[in-house]
Amino acid sequence: MPAITANIATTTLTVNVQGVRKVYQRDSQEIVVLDRINLAVPEGDFVALMGPSGSGKTTLLNLIAGIDRPSSGRVTVAGTDLATLSEGALAGWRSRNVGFIFQFYNLIPVLTAAENVELPLLLSPIGGKQRRERALTALRIVGLTDRASHYPRQLSGGQEQRVAIARAIVADPKILVADEPTGDLDARSAEDTLDLLQTLNHDFRKTIVMVTHDPRAASRAHSQKHLEKGVLLDEV
Amino acid sequence: MKFLPFIWKHLRKNWIRTGSTGAAIAVCIFLFCTLQTFVASLNGFLSPGTTRLITRHNVSLVFRMPNAYEARIAAVPGVKRVAAANWFGGMRDLSKPADVFTNFAIEAENFLAMYAEFILPEPEKKAFLADQRGCIIGHALAERFHWKVGDTIELESTVPAYRTARPLDFLISGIYQTDQVRYPGTNESLLFFHYKYFDEATGKKAGVATYRVEIADPRQTGVISHAIDNLFENSDTQTHTETEAQYRASVGVLGGSFVLLLNGIALAVMFTILLVTANTMSMAVRERRAEIAVLKTLGFSSRLVLSLVLGEGVLLGAFGATAGLLLGRFLINVLPDVPVIGDVIRGFPKMDVPPAIAAVGLAIGVSLGLVAGLFPAILAYRARITELLRQA
Repeated sequence: MPAITANIATTTLTVNVQGVRKVYQRDSQEIVVLDRINLAVPEGDFVALMGPSGSGKTTLLNLIAGIDRPSSGRVTVAGTDLATLSEGALAGWRSRNVGFIFQFYNLIPVLTAAENVELPLLLSPIGGKQRRERALTALRIVGLTDRASHYPRQLSGGQEQRVAIARAIVADPKILVADEPTGDLDARSAEDTLDLLQTLNHDFRKTIVMVTHDPRAASRAHSQKHLEKGVLLDEV
Repeated sequence: MKFLPFIWKHLRKNWIRTGSTGAAIAVCIFLFCTLQTFVASLNGFLSPGTTRLITRHNVSLVFRMPNAYEARIAAVPGVKRVAAANWFGGMRDLSKPADVFTNFAIEAENFLAMYAEFILPEPEKKAFLADQRGCIIGHALAERFHWKVGDTIELESTVPAYRTARPLDFLISGIYQTDQVRYPGTNESLLFFHYKYFDEATGKKAGVATYRVEIADPRQTGVISHAIDNLFENSDTQTHTETEAQYRASVGVLGGSFVLLLNGIALAVMFTILLVTANTMSMAVRERRAEIAVLKTLGFSSRLVLSLVLGEGVLLGAFGATAGLLLGRFLINVLPDVPVIGDVIRGFPKMDVPPAIAAVGLAIGVSLGLVAGLFPAILAYRARITELLRQA
């Protein structure tokens, strides 16, 4: 334990979850979704969160991404204690620091692939020309420059997920969080997506926290954390 | 502005829904603009000179007063001049109701002296006064029927009491012009002929429908009105004297209660359209739960999401209002040429949508869109990301 503690102390942590608890109130009943979670993710790490359905892995991911707040404990991401931010400040913080990849891609249907990728940049002060250039760069990274003017309905599932990944990286966030990114893909598209995530981690040093129940997807990560009934089990 | 393409794309997504909602707002604004233009025209119609009174039969305009009343009215202190004026209700061809226009039998010299708004060249005025069969017409009437000075026309009255064995024939002695700046709302489509000719043709049985009374001091309106009516209080034919504005308001369709009705209709339509638009926008936002979740996840603040939804409403309202305004202007220009309706419209001063009403119409349309979008925008503002993602 001391050795591990020392390692954590000398490594820059992108994610530091300390003593986090998440409780929901249903009528008079308290439902504990996460219980005393401690999680440290160093910069440049690729972590897979695994567990059965209802284990709390998506809830933990949401806390790390700043789209939910814990009932108690502390969540520090990219050097910021998220509890110190108001809702408006948290939204702004997310736009600069977090890239979110959804299971069902969640592209905006009325926007082209390039416009979808450009969406996070609308929140930044950069001009239209520069936004478009960066969007095309992101599409180039995911290998979909030739699909820039296509609408989501004109793309395959795998292509949609790659556009979603481009959208997640276009603002150069500190951390990528992915919730079951291969859950809706066929085997080939899933492999392509995982290849891309590995490239982003290895070549672009992106810190990635990925929720998955697929062991093949989890095997691509540097480490796997198991959640069971809201409790983090020993590291694998 | 950088979010305008985003908003526009969402409006374009469902053309039918956007189009029908925009059309509903357009109908609302069209109704508002045309009704208010009509009311404005009415107000012009109801704002004649303040030095003129009108005396009529106390019971109803249908009944007539004796010719002998004129001299007694003229003798009332403060009265400058009096002129008999009967609406003749004449038509060129009784089988062609579309050709109807308004015509009066008047005591010409006094009438033209007190109605400066009918502007006649002096030679034409002299010719008219000299010829008992003469008549003068408004320039709009002349244009409508391609009449000119020297033409002869025949008119047959639709009022049974005024019917004669043969139609009355007239010679057009002059064409009057109007000054809509100095005398706004002056009717440009009237025909006036001599009361004496009319009275003799009807065997001196026509009587007088109205006496037009010009007074020296408008502050004496009430006093002189009472004085005139008191003259005949104990007669078989009692009179009712009022200002010309009150008289016009009491004839047929005019007056504050009608205006109130028009405004009430416009308000009811606006409220209905508001409900329809609000429902449509709520549906549209409900369908986009996942999208709102994504936007918020990406870092769009709740306030920005609210602005985007409101922006859709405002844009929709602006488009609808513009369409409604254009439709209103088109219809107002076309209406005078429509059979039957055009005959009524031509009886009023020339109508056009005033800039102030157009501006208010646009503002109402935009406000409708804004208010309709408010409830769904607030829902989107308050929605939690995790809840939205779960529902999606």
